[in-house]
Amino acid sequence: MADRIDCRQATEQLHDYLKQEMTPALAEEIRAHLDRCRPCFRQALFEENFLRLLEGCARQRCPGTLRARIVALLQVEAERD
Amino acid sequence: MAEPSAAVRSFDAEALPHLDALYRVALRLTADPTQAEDLVQDTMLKAYRSWRQYRPGTNAKGWLLTILRNTFINDYRRRKIEPIAMDLEAVEPHALFRAVEEIDPEGTFFSRIVDEKVLEAVDTLPPEFREVLVLSDVEGMSYAEIAETLELPLGTVKSRLFRARRLLQARLYAYAVEMGYIKPRESRDG
Repeated sequence: MADRIDCRQATEQLHDYLKQEMTPALAEEIRAHLDRCRPCFRQALFEENFLRLLEGCARQRCPGTLRARIVALLQVEAERD
Repeated sequence: MAEPSAAVRSFDAEALPHLDALYRVALRLTADPTQAEDLVQDTMLKAYRSWRQYRPGTNAKGWLLTILRNTFINDYRRRKIEPIAMDLEAVEPHALFRAVEEIDPEGTFFSRIVDEKVLEAVDTLPPEFREVLVLSDVEGMSYAEIAETLELPLGTVKSRLFRARRLLQARLYAYAVEMGYIKPRESRDG
């Protein structure tokens, strides 16, 4: 079966593919393309590392002082109701 | 102290778990920890006061982020000098992979950049790009959830994300070169 998408179409949609933001049919076409195209497969690994870097940035927590202040304010609001 | 009412209990259970995400997004929008704290606090108070408009079991995180973003736009953005407006459609950077595939094809230099520096690079993006990128790639929201939260067409979310990621890659690459994490090949012309 010949590729129905070319390298440009495949690489431009790699992030959407990696985030599973496409129809199963299109995802299957991209997967098939990556199976047979070494440069695009390599780029997919690269883009995966890029996305992983950003996912890792979600570690920062709300400061405890802010959390406590909000909980106290909500309590005041509730008592006013 | 009185027992908390059912309304407070359901708000606590559904809204408070999203405080970390709200604070992270507020930090990116305001680029200022003190303003971020104020913004989260204002958001939670507004959310509590309009809690009966929230339909239980729907997307509480998206609902809260919509309030946060609207509060930011209405009450906070005007405090800061707006960056020079740029034509978002004109931003069409190339994919970084082509530039590094022969020196670092797996992008190992990415893993040497600490979170703080990644987020600093995110903060240099135009606001329209920054918000979609943070919601999608840092906070893990789906494109559909982002479209709903930001009240944008899905196609706009996708095209902004596409450009935002390429622009961010270019900034991260420039930082990595500056730090010596990656050495660009000598220019053949030079």
